[in-house]
Amino acid sequence: MRASATGRDPRRQRLNHAFALLIPAALFGFLVTAQWQGQQDRSSIAVRYNAPLTDAAFALQKEQNDLKAQLQDLRAQLDRIQSSAASQSGAASELERRLAELKAQAGLSAATGDGVMVQLDDSHTIPAGTTNLDQAICHSTDLSDILNTAWRGGAQAISVNAQRVVSSTSVYCVGSTIMVNGTLLSPPFNIAVIGPQNAVLGAFDDPSQLRDIKARRDVHGLGFRVTRANAINVPPYDGALTVRIAIPQ
Amino acid sequence: MRSNAGGIAATAVALFLGILVVTQFRSQDVYSRNLQLETPASLTTLIANLSDRNNSLRDEIFELRLRVVAARDSVASGQGSLAESQHEIDQLRIFAAVSSAHGPGIAVKIDGTFDDRAMSDLTNELRNAGAEAISVNDVRVGPRSWYAPGPERSVLLDGRQVNGPWIVRAIGASDVMHVAITRTGGIQGQFELIYPKTRFTVTKESTIEVPAVAARR
Repeated sequence: MRASATGRDPRRQRLNHAFALLIPAALFGFLVTAQWQGQQDRSSIAVRYNAPLTDAAFALQKEQNDLKAQLQDLRAQLDRIQSSAASQSGAASELERRLAELKAQAGLSAATGDGVMVQLDDSHTIPAGTTNLDQAICHSTDLSDILNTAWRGGAQAISVNAQRVVSSTSVYCVGSTIMVNGTLLSPPFNIAVIGPQNAVLGAFDDPSQLRDIKARRDVHGLGFRVTRANAINVPPYDGALTVRIAIPQ
Repeated sequence: MRSNAGGIAATAVALFLGILVVTQFRSQDVYSRNLQLETPASLTTLIANLSDRNNSLRDEIFELRLRVVAARDSVASGQGSLAESQHEIDQLRIFAAVSSAHGPGIAVKIDGTFDDRAMSDLTNELRNAGAEAISVNDVRVGPRSWYAPGPERSVLLDGRQVNGPWIVRAIGASDVMHVAITRTGGIQGQFELIYPKTRFTVTKESTIEVPAVAARR
């Protein structure tokens, strides 16, 4: 075996050596560039407090998810008790029917139906170093405008990345981070809209609607797509009801 | 010589390829959002917002636990859970905006040029500050409300024309909402820059009344 290896064609051996160099050289190039760019990033963002603040934000978001799960569980317990009470009297049964109706109106019940799916995403096509990055990423106002257009088109239920849009919903922007219902969300934003398909699609297709988003999609590659969809599931609102001060009349 | 030259050329090409791969990867990744890239000021605001939300959730969990116990006792004693159901109905009637409501809050008077998108932003800001019920002039803002430009510089709210000067009323914690709107760099300051001739007046009110949302047409 050894004898036959040493007796190889010298040209082939040279080729083998060249290929043997190829992989480490590519790896070296990759590492050098990554290291150099990493240094550049770190120098601009190396702020003393960022790491602990980021950890705190993630910890609070995790806590929020746990609290929402507890809240959902308690709401389900109360529902079961009310259902059992409804079987005891006609008055309780009437109240339970009214409760179910109000929960559906308020967005506290899951909804399923036909409608449209809207996807909004940051551009992935513009090279680094572009001066108008602002135009290529999605903002909280874009989401607000999309929700406004969907309601205008007759939407009956909407969620954004599984966050149900209800009367207390705010789309809030801190730096480049977007919060919906006080929950941290990242693009792509998938907006599920249940409603009359033709009317909702018509609202999105209307050239006078969402002009800014459509122009940024065409010029800067912002991701914006509206598609017809059937049997969409919109989850119930899982946040706090926040009715503590207002008194009904 | 020939083999050395070939090796050097191959190495140079490979180095170049490595650099290209990283540059391309980075150019794609530059748009990904990362909390680490936020400023400490933004992160602090974000943390405050998350804390507020979590406190609201904790309050509701505490209250709901008591209500679950009360409802269980009530059903066990044969009284049913009428009181619990009625309490929830009252809350939901306000949350769904199907009932008129009253309580303390703030009033934002806007006198001058304004538009539907700005009205939508103001509503969003009030909701984020914890407003429980909002109206524009005397039209309730509901869970499915939308704004559009109306004729003669008016604003359409759910298709109903509301003319300026506008009074946006919000029931809720008046101190919190007042600070949220009037703070330095807040939405009032932004509006004053965009609409320099428009007068914005924000007042705390001990009692505000807002109507129920109109039936959808």
